[in-house]
Amino acid sequence: MTLKLSRRSAIAIALAGTVTFGSYGAARAQDIVLGGSIPMTGVFAFAGVAINNGITDYLKIVNDAGGIHGRKIKYVFEDTAYKVDTSVAVFNKLTSQEKISLYYGDSTAFAKTINAELLRRANIIMAGASFASELNNPKEYPFQFIAGPDYTEMTGILLEYIAKTTPKAKIALVNSDTEFGRDPIAATEKRAKELGLTVVEKIVTPPTSVDVSTEVLKLRRADPDYVIFHGYILAPLPEFMSQAKQLGLKAKFMGTFWSMDNNIWAKSADVADGFMGVMPYRYYFDTEGKSPMLDQIRKMRPEYQSTGYIQGFLTAMLLVEAAKRTLADKKELTAQNMKAALNSIKDFDTGGLIGVPISIPGNTLPVGRVYQYDGKAQRMKPVSDWIDLTKK
Amino acid sequence: MDWLFLTEILLSGLGSGALLSLTGIAFVLIYKATKVVNLAVGEMLMMGAYFFVGLFSSQVFPLWATVALAILGGGLLGAVVERALIRPMLGENPISVFMVTVGLGSILVGVVEFIWGADPIAPPNFMPTKPFFIGPAYVSPKIALSFAIAAVVIVVFLILFRYWRGGVALRATATDQGAAYSCGINVPRVFSLAWIAAGMAAAGAGILVGSIGGVSPTMGVFGLSVLVVVIVGGLDSIAGALIAGLFIGAVEALAGTYLGGEYKLLITFGILVVMLMIRPYGLFGTVEIERL
Amino acid sequence: MRIGTAHETYAQAEALLDTNVQRFWLIAFLILLAAFPFVANQYWVYMACLVGIHIVSVTGLNILTGFTGLVSLGHAAFMAVGAYTVATLEIRVGTPFILNLIIGGLVTALAGILVGIPSLRVKGLYLAIATIAAAVILHFVFANSAFLGGTRGLSMPPATIFGYQIARPSQVYWIILPVAVLSIVGAANLFRTRIGRAFIAIRDRDISAEVLGIPLLRYKLLSFALSSFYAGVAGGLWAYFFRVVTPESFPLIYSIFFLAAVIVGGMGTILGGILGAVFMTMVPEVLKIVVGWMTPVFPNAVQFLSPVRTIVFGALIVLFLLFEPQGLAEIWRRVRRFFHLWPFRK
Repeated sequence: MTLKLSRRSAIAIALAGTVTFGSYGAARAQDIVLGGSIPMTGVFAFAGVAINNGITDYLKIVNDAGGIHGRKIKYVFEDTAYKVDTSVAVFNKLTSQEKISLYYGDSTAFAKTINAELLRRANIIMAGASFASELNNPKEYPFQFIAGPDYTEMTGILLEYIAKTTPKAKIALVNSDTEFGRDPIAATEKRAKELGLTVVEKIVTPPTSVDVSTEVLKLRRADPDYVIFHGYILAPLPEFMSQAKQLGLKAKFMGTFWSMDNNIWAKSADVADGFMGVMPYRYYFDTEGKSPMLDQIRKMRPEYQSTGYIQGFLTAMLLVEAAKRTLADKKELTAQNMKAALNSIKDFDTGGLIGVPISIPGNTLPVGRVYQYDGKAQRMKPVSDWIDLTKK
Repeated sequence: MDWLFLTEILLSGLGSGALLSLTGIAFVLIYKATKVVNLAVGEMLMMGAYFFVGLFSSQVFPLWATVALAILGGGLLGAVVERALIRPMLGENPISVFMVTVGLGSILVGVVEFIWGADPIAPPNFMPTKPFFIGPAYVSPKIALSFAIAAVVIVVFLILFRYWRGGVALRATATDQGAAYSCGINVPRVFSLAWIAAGMAAAGAGILVGSIGGVSPTMGVFGLSVLVVVIVGGLDSIAGALIAGLFIGAVEALAGTYLGGEYKLLITFGILVVMLMIRPYGLFGTVEIERL
Repeated sequence: MRIGTAHETYAQAEALLDTNVQRFWLIAFLILLAAFPFVANQYWVYMACLVGIHIVSVTGLNILTGFTGLVSLGHAAFMAVGAYTVATLEIRVGTPFILNLIIGGLVTALAGILVGIPSLRVKGLYLAIATIAAAVILHFVFANSAFLGGTRGLSMPPATIFGYQIARPSQVYWIILPVAVLSIVGAANLFRTRIGRAFIAIRDRDISAEVLGIPLLRYKLLSFALSSFYAGVAGGLWAYFFRVVTPESFPLIYSIFFLAAVIVGGMGTILGGILGAVFMTMVPEVLKIVVGWMTPVFPNAVQFLSPVRTIVFGALIVLFLLFEPQGLAEIWRRVRRFFHLWPFRK
């Protein structure tokens, strides 16, 4: 057993050290930098690529209009493959290369892991692809926010809608057995009770399960009026719904943000017909109401853009707005100032991306609307008005 | 007790259990002939599903030809893997061979993501959607059809083992390699044969699993349940895989219904641990006696 | 052994480092490691910390798999046990971090013994499957225990020493480095003792070992305990490094990663475990850089980064097993021999 380093490799290491570690240039001082740990590959790539496009497009619009207070926004990002340690590595890499003020993170676990570092640095505010209820806590996560309702608020909006259309409805909750899936269960049950709804069945599906027929049998026995899915993108929802149809279940099926994209349902349009869910933003093709931003997006990209794109676009808008308001107050771009500026957003017009003026009193933007898939038109269509939970 | 409900749950459990049996047979075939514990069986199943989806979406062939080609593709994959990765490892430490299959699993997942992307693909609708009833009990039509197909395939396999020359050669090799050699059996060819047959069985199971639960690069986790099946049934017993598959399928369904979905894996792996403690060679496996 | 070093005593022959030249280079290397956080930027220090944690964990798995011949696919789950123990102690008890790390290791060692008990009846690949079962069961416990935070897991404060917080990678580095060095030295010395040699005897042929008077069960359990102790300490370091421990932090693929590192590095050599950990941790980063170079030529290259990473990961395992079963350690030895003999022999 020997522990010897040959001299050549030692020299090589030393050389590599001086070459790589010392040569990172600083960004131009006046640029504001938005960094991103973006899942361009891996299981979440479908969203990551769209998010990336959304961020890029919004920043292009801002920079083409001269930036904010004469300062351009620079966007730097790297792929994370949706792995937490890689996301953190990307954060460390980007922050050691650039002076970053705004950040987009890709997962709940990343948001939680990087939080301590954000607190320490106190010069970055962050939002991301996670809508985890846990992050909706300004005390623990003072420098983060969610560009939409958190998962509990999403199901809250659905419950609100159900209570209004079908009072005393019976509800079944179907969640995947993951952190993502189990996030809102307890809070949803509580809220349902408050609204006079009964939760008749709670089903948790493990990620390994292939067949859902036992779960559908359970649903038939419980005979709910509404079934709320959470923690899935697409599978196993279509199978659930087609088997439920075969069994003659009357239940309506609902989902949350990540399973509400129009394109993922287009391939199984016949099953998807009637599927409902909560969506905090307008769809790419929505034309009702005034939405200059959507018009601009449609001009920049003539083909359909997914909900992930709108999410990235809006997140970038809010991040930039926070920086803009901070600069307008002639304050330094510290995390505290930027978050305060973000929280000062009141009755803000998102250019029509969200149908009502928004306010961000805490860490979320608890607004949403219930959409329903129309199999014939192959489109999501609104079935409710905008529901704003802050007004309660 | 709601007997009808229980019957329906059991039927659906047995239905998915048949898929476990079919994949379990793929596993056992390989183990019997080559003594390789193939941890990539889930990924071979996934490849079969992707062959099918890929061919199906090109819409060049009719459905039956697509299925046949996908199964042949699975066989080809088995052959290639055997020749390129397993044959050179002959006589090596079984742990090394085992790790080769672990690496193989990763390669297959990567290849699938490379070609088809990481997003799940909605299963092609070729299965019946008309509800299927046994008496008053409802069975998902896909599950019922899968059960029927798996049953037929398993019977075919059993007949081949019993009467076909290749099947007999395989059994001879499994019993005693040296003796099989001296009887003039081409043992390396038997190895190839076993891997081809296993690849085809796995691909067939993959088509069925994919059309029920969707096709995605992560569908290989199905292989985890298969591991339980083959340990419970005995690594080298076809009958064991058959019975244990149905048993584990039913247990999973019952656990999922009466305890909750999060208990499924816990219960099956609990059974696995108990089995390892009391009968490590499984219900029908051969007891190996080691000598110096 | 080098030409020209004549051993005069057995102690000399058994020494880990037999020449002054080796000692010199080792000290130089340690100085380099100590200087590292002062010259490198945060990203490189972060990677170095991750490598350090992986070295501890891989060395532990190497004791079990490389030296004792027992395959474990539950190593990441053992790390989780250590991480959860440390996080719980830090949050609820507030004991000093060094003590937490040791207790984390000990608790994990106990868990390892529990999992190792089936080795009484089963061996080889059956045991590997039993460890998968252990990983599944542990995951269930973590995800469903309210005490451990359920699926949300635990968020913990940083380690402190004399009221001084150890939070940033460049600070945690100073915990990880000594622990990694200690664990390497410990493992290297283990195989100069009766226990270590008994492990090797069991690996080479367990029945013969038993005939030679080595109580199999006791030594197998001991190997499990030691390996899990390492995993527990590595998990504790992991917890202090990331400070969020969730059931999803330690998936099965992480266990496979450690096994791959042992294989690629070289089973049954301490140096192999180190090389494997460094290599396997850095490969994805290197791939990323390569893809970055390729982007001007193939604009879509980024899209294939994740699949290529997965393929390379599997291919490394397979290719090393097929063509270089002794791993990187063997390549290292060959390279060294070449330079020692150069220019007199090719």
